[in-house]
Amino acid sequence: MFQNYLKIALRNLLKQKGLTAINVLGLSIGLACFSLFMLYAVNEFSYDRFHDKGDRTFRVLRWWEAGFAGRDEAGGDSYLPMPLGPALKTDFPDVEQFVRLREAWGENFVRANGEVSRAGVQFADPSFFEVFSFKIKYGSPSAALKDRYNVVLTEKMAQRLFGESNPTGKTLEIKLEDKFEPYTVAAVAENPPPNSTIQFDILGNFERLYTTKFGEGSLNNWNRSSLQTYVLLRPGSGLADNSKQLLGFYQKYYPDQKAALQKEGSWKGEGAPCSFRLQPLREMHAGMETWGENAAEVDPTGIWTLLAIAAGVLLIACINFTTLSIGRSAGRAKEVGVRKVIGGGRGQLVRQFLTESLLLSALSAVIGLAMAQALMPAFNEMADRTLSFSLRLYPEIGWLAVGLTLLVGLLAGSYPALVLSGFKPVEILKSKVRLGGANFFTKSLVTTQFVLSIGLAAATLIIVQQLHFMRSQNPGFQRENVVVVDASDTDSEKIYPRFRQLALQQPQVMGVASAELGLGEGTGWSQSGWAYQGKQKNVYEYFVDNHYMDVLGMQLLAGRNFDPKFATDTINSIIVNEAFLKDFGWTAETALGQKLEGYYEGSEKPLPVVVGVVKDFNFRPFKEEVKPQLFHQFSDYAPFKFFVRLQPGDPAPALAALKLAWASAESELPFKYSFLDENLDRFYESEARFSNIIGWAGGISIFLACLGLFGLAALAAANRTKEIGIRKVLGASLGGIVGLLSKDFLRLVALAILIAAPLAWYFMQKWLDDFAYRIELHWWQFLAAGAGAVAVAFLTVSFQSVKAALANPVESLRSE
Amino acid sequence: MIKTVNLSKVYRTDEVETTALNSVDIEIKQGEFVSVMGPSGCGKSTLLNVLGMIDSPSGGDYFFNEKEVGKLSERNRSDVRKHNLGFVFQSFNLIDELTVYENVELPMLYTKVPANERKKRVEELLEGMSIMHRKNHFPQQLSGGQQQRVAVARAVVNKPKLILADEPTGNLDSANGDEVMKILADLNASGTTILMVTHSQYCAEFGNRIIRMLDGQVVAVNVVKRYL
Repeated sequence: MFQNYLKIALRNLLKQKGLTAINVLGLSIGLACFSLFMLYAVNEFSYDRFHDKGDRTFRVLRWWEAGFAGRDEAGGDSYLPMPLGPALKTDFPDVEQFVRLREAWGENFVRANGEVSRAGVQFADPSFFEVFSFKIKYGSPSAALKDRYNVVLTEKMAQRLFGESNPTGKTLEIKLEDKFEPYTVAAVAENPPPNSTIQFDILGNFERLYTTKFGEGSLNNWNRSSLQTYVLLRPGSGLADNSKQLLGFYQKYYPDQKAALQKEGSWKGEGAPCSFRLQPLREMHAGMETWGENAAEVDPTGIWTLLAIAAGVLLIACINFTTLSIGRSAGRAKEVGVRKVIGGGRGQLVRQFLTESLLLSALSAVIGLAMAQALMPAFNEMADRTLSFSLRLYPEIGWLAVGLTLLVGLLAGSYPALVLSGFKPVEILKSKVRLGGANFFTKSLVTTQFVLSIGLAAATLIIVQQLHFMRSQNPGFQRENVVVVDASDTDSEKIYPRFRQLALQQPQVMGVASAELGLGEGTGWSQSGWAYQGKQKNVYEYFVDNHYMDVLGMQLLAGRNFDPKFATDTINSIIVNEAFLKDFGWTAETALGQKLEGYYEGSEKPLPVVVGVVKDFNFRPFKEEVKPQLFHQFSDYAPFKFFVRLQPGDPAPALAALKLAWASAESELPFKYSFLDENLDRFYESEARFSNIIGWAGGISIFLACLGLFGLAALAAANRTKEIGIRKVLGASLGGIVGLLSKDFLRLVALAILIAAPLAWYFMQKWLDDFAYRIELHWWQFLAAGAGAVAVAFLTVSFQSVKAALANPVESLRSE
Repeated sequence: MIKTVNLSKVYRTDEVETTALNSVDIEIKQGEFVSVMGPSGCGKSTLLNVLGMIDSPSGGDYFFNEKEVGKLSERNRSDVRKHNLGFVFQSFNLIDELTVYENVELPMLYTKVPANERKKRVEELLEGMSIMHRKNHFPQQLSGGQQQRVAVARAVVNKPKLILADEPTGNLDSANGDEVMKILADLNASGTTILMVTHSQYCAEFGNRIIRMLDGQVVAVNVVKRYL
């Protein structure tokens, strides 16, 4: 019997090649789209699952309660002090092993084969390869970090530095603090899987840090938190859930913290403000449990949102299948009637039609997966991931693919199956069954499709506008034509004066300034907090030189800029922004001469004094309001970024000259630069990515909805051939007939606009609420999305209606 | 085999009520060949559909093999149908997507006849109707007469006790029509009961009795006399 179903299904699909193509193409696109997003979601949720001991490995978090230091939400911080790991192992017999990890702070200079380049170097305890399951390709896990001067390279890094896959035993030099030192490559590790939170290129022995300036200051220091600590618990240990024990441990090492915080007004609660928590390894990336601020890298609701959008696109494709199947049921009615008369039961017919839809969905799944495979590189670029359909990395995608195919087949096929199998044989044989695609159910499905498409189109329009707004909004300084030279980890204090002097000789160079930090995504920021007159203050601090304001084009509102004439400028003069004034309750006039009381607690240093006020500028993304900001020139800081303002025009000759200037100031280390406006634009990468994805989803959904509409219009025209013929004989015009056939569909699209607009309005309003600086929503944005949809729908439908209207009426009447 | 008492069928739309069958009392015995005649719209086809259990009566009783079947559910009627009845239609009603062989085989798939038995029966029947050479053709590739022979083969493949034929020769020329009538007569001779609706007096006289209908009522029953 099943064979019979398959046979008839195939013959039917081949008979109506056009509709089959629409169905298969639509479902394939929907499935391709969904499977890519599903892979993305699977990847996000599969982070850090490959560790064999993952179920008993945890990352330690310092947990703060809501209300601590003026914070609204409870949360965790994974940067912790150096003595924590050993203390955990000593105090808790349950702790089998610990690993401390110092992430790469920017890039270090590395010399291999006589060539210097920049690369990130991380440091981990030798137990790293015992606790985590990163695979060693050459060398042994136990010996990989045995010696203080051992390093492990990834395959990629080995290839980059040495041009070979196995450089074990070779030497490379790493510049740590101020000098190059030789290290031996003890092992080569496989590249960390893309779904690993811990990523490394070069891994050094943590113990090497003990003898650095950083290590000396951190070794027994519980108040310097810049390292990650992981613990491996013994099997069956309940320590992770024992908050009481962890709190006791915390209080042992921070006995006076609560009292001190209460005294300075940072904690008003009854209980303890802080404790330690153990976060399961698998929840570090997109923890389903809320780990508060900072603790998870990705917000799981974002992943679910993307998945929901992809499901919407797939739903549109399934609806196409349903509406088209109902639409062509006229052609199947006789078969249903005959089958019923000769003894076919309803269940058998339902099974038969479901077989057909499953066949179609299986076919579409194969094509869809091929499409997804072909689109993978583009998708990876858009999503900033390195995904692949790998059963080894994601064992669940096998059954997910099969399950999805079945689900789509059942979802798309069940309504047509129920409708078709419900026909009464006697009515079919008397030709009394009214068929066609225009019942209430089909109409609501088509409307749903357009609600989704128009909603996504409107969302895209708004996101793109907000993005454009943030990129083009004046941030309060001149962001164009500024080159930022990276001098971190160099002897920048010596390099800078020489570089500046040489650079200014170039006619294209208008000014050169320096600062500790760059501006824009990934260039870091520094914040300090202290109690000012009993109130907790958090302020962004920037070490800059006296040319910074001019080169960036910032506006002075009161007081003066830094000036070499004033000796105090490198000791305690500061310039603040308007937000700072507001926070401290000053005006531009009253601010000058104010001292930052409490800034150096328990120190005799002279307090910072305000000498100038600048107009607010957006040094953080437009998402955030401008925060209190302070500029200083204190002598114990170093300028790690050089800002060079160029004349507008082709920057190439100036860049070449800057490279020469750098080489003359610093003979060995390579020159590295970026453009300020590009760094700032990178703030909006995730928004840009989001708008890209939504835009594609919107485009695809409109395409699919129109594909379905195209098929439905064809069926409607076919079902109304006789009517069209009679109307033409009676003198109807071409326009009249096109209008007649298009009207019904356009009415549905118009209804969809009415439903989609308020929904899109609501969701986009919520999305925009996250931005401190944002566009306003206007009715025309929704009208534009709707008008676009109407135009595309009208073109689609009119193609079919014009064809029907142009047909010779004699032909159409004879065919009845 | 068939007995109806006061059988009626009324069609209702929003505004119009049409009485298609009005107090029909008929009886057909096993082995009979009964023809139903009457002008268009007199209720012949409705009678055939109700007796064939593809439509249910609005009133009265319908006994099939002495069991009341008029009020059975669709599922039970379908069960009675597939084991006891075979249908032949004026427009053949073959499934276009299935070949001649597959069309004839189809009823046996629903009654779960084993595969080798199915093959045997289909081939026997196609052989008997001289269309074996076209078994892999699709219905559109056959002439009307050939299509109707396939339809008859399909109707009898499950060895039904009763064959219901609705103007089986209506779409055929006289030569092909004759051939189909001969097949039906042969089937009747070998014991199958036949109930046939027709417009043609000639065809009707292949039967033993002719029921004449007008406006939903039986107006006369004639016995066919054969002069050999």
